[in-house]
Amino acid sequence: MELFANLWAWFSGLFVITPAWMTLGAWVAVGLTIFIFSFLYKDNPFFKIAEHLYLGAGMGWWFQVYLYSIFIPKVWDPLMAHQWGVIIPAVLGISLVTQFIPRISWMSRYGFTFMMGYGAGLAVPAGLSTDFIAQIGGTIEPLSRMASMTPFAIFNSLLVAFGVICVLFYFFFSVEHKGAVKKVSSIGIYFLMIYFGAAFGNTVMARFSLLYGRFDELYTYSGSNYFYATQVILISMVLYFVVHALANKGKKGTSEEAA
Amino acid sequence: MIKYKAILTLFLSLLSVNAAFSAEPAPAVISGLTAVDMPYDVGNAVMLRWAINPSDTPDTVYVVHASSQQAGAWVEADRFSASAKTGDDIELPFWAWDGSAMEHAVKVELNNIFGESAAGSVFRFKVSALEKGLLKAESAPVPATPVGNWFRLDRLNNIVLLIVIVIVFFWAVSHAKRKGLFIRRIAGLDAIDEAIGRATEMGKPIYYVPGIGTMSSISTIASAFILGEVSKKVAQYDSQIKVPHYDPIVMTVCKEIVKQSYMEAGRPDSYREDINFFVSQDQFSYAASVDGMISREKPAACFFMGYFMAESLLLAEVGATSGAIQIAGTDIESQLPFFFTACDYTLIGEELYAAGAYLSKEPMLLSALKVQDFGKLVVMVSVFFGIILVAAGAALHWDSFVNVILNLFKAY
Repeated sequence: MELFANLWAWFSGLFVITPAWMTLGAWVAVGLTIFIFSFLYKDNPFFKIAEHLYLGAGMGWWFQVYLYSIFIPKVWDPLMAHQWGVIIPAVLGISLVTQFIPRISWMSRYGFTFMMGYGAGLAVPAGLSTDFIAQIGGTIEPLSRMASMTPFAIFNSLLVAFGVICVLFYFFFSVEHKGAVKKVSSIGIYFLMIYFGAAFGNTVMARFSLLYGRFDELYTYSGSNYFYATQVILISMVLYFVVHALANKGKKGTSEEAA
Repeated sequence: MIKYKAILTLFLSLLSVNAAFSAEPAPAVISGLTAVDMPYDVGNAVMLRWAINPSDTPDTVYVVHASSQQAGAWVEADRFSASAKTGDDIELPFWAWDGSAMEHAVKVELNNIFGESAAGSVFRFKVSALEKGLLKAESAPVPATPVGNWFRLDRLNNIVLLIVIVIVFFWAVSHAKRKGLFIRRIAGLDAIDEAIGRATEMGKPIYYVPGIGTMSSISTIASAFILGEVSKKVAQYDSQIKVPHYDPIVMTVCKEIVKQSYMEAGRPDSYREDINFFVSQDQFSYAASVDGMISREKPAACFFMGYFMAESLLLAEVGATSGAIQIAGTDIESQLPFFFTACDYTLIGEELYAAGAYLSKEPMLLSALKVQDFGKLVVMVSVFFGIILVAAGAALHWDSFVNVILNLFKAY
């Protein structure tokens, strides 16, 4: 027992954050970032390493999240406290796993049916309230303050209402779009495109901020205290691609490009 | 004798007057305080009501105390100025609440004060009025027991609308079965045949990506319908389809759908269990892996139908680079621009919901489409007349009328 405790203490000690671990972490971070970016050039073994590592790490992460955030607090702990009511949802949940055993896979239908019914029951009233009534209320509500609104605010509210009606015309499926309906729905498309343009710009800005974060990290880890991790990995990869290209010059279709 | 009595009376009177002047005045009593269970909630709040005191000044502050004990243990639950928290401030629609501006009405949320197990327990409440920090008036303690309510009368407008929609749905089903329903052309869906035909000619697979939604997401349900129709055509053309999944439950549902489609197409022998396969339940791991598969296999067609978030462009861009014909559809507005830029055809929001009906032409689904159109008509008419009525009411200062209109379209 003491031996086990000592082994465990030694093993845990390995993961105490030290400067050496920090440096290793920097190399891993830089390596994986550049491996993923290398896909911009073409599919390659480095990208495959990062891709599969990401997939495995993601699975492992979610497994522990489900174990510690759902199974233990919501199933195991209540059962240990003799709260037997949790057996019903737990059995329904376990029934989904019977999919793996064809002979009893029919049991999974109970779990799925419950989930579908529960999901629909939850979605219908919530959707009706938020996607339907709230949209009408939200469109007309600003004009309830008309007495204190500026002319521009009134125009803005009316424009929004006009846009809502035109866009809804575009989404009419049971009416043929010709004549007046076509004109109104065309105006609706303009409203949609203006929105999509704004949303596109907004999201691209957000993505650029993520890109800056990656570049900032690559820059930070290019210092001498991290043994020039960025430069070393980048140059090594460029060398690999050059050598690989020279070695396969004239050959049609490399192993990486094979289907 | 009479003289002595008179002196004694005078002395006692002086004593009483002195006593009256030396003691502090007793605080007034806040009368009419009632505490009742907050209507239409889960049982964690109590409603206190009492009449507005005309002698209150701008300096008057009301303090509400609550206690879960039989005696003492008072906790301050709320504090507000005398001009605040009247019956008009309670956010309940006119058909579920009869409060007025002539009374104070305070909702005390007990779960915020005493924890979550408030329902069924007895609590006591009292209200004090302070003026410049000094106690001016105080009520007698009143008990109340919060209970959970089965029916939310405040959401009556929601259920009325739901009932109307259900009635219209049944009418539409009957109409669709008798006469059929017209659906306008949707270019993105007409291109599905072209995409499957291209894949068949090229002998390359089709990737159908249902996104990262769960089965409770409407776009995922719509995507499952489309998958059924797409896989039926794939089975008819004897082409190949691959469906990478993010959610295991969606995968299981899609397995059944694809299997059914192959059977309906008369090609059960062509069905393989690995058409639907699980990738990862981590958003970007899923995207990276599907990107890898698309770039290596170079499919002839990619379908991105369902619920997508940040991975939309990552997937669609790789598909475009690999030369696949791409058809996308989602109801997530922020991701639609990325599909526009990288895909050949894009189904916008409602078009995705309509796709199942459009492709299958089944009366039940067609009627659902008709009901959707009815819903849009309701929204348009309500917005049009609502704006006119609210604007007119606001301009003429008919506050009650404006409140009635706004309450009719109040969501929760």
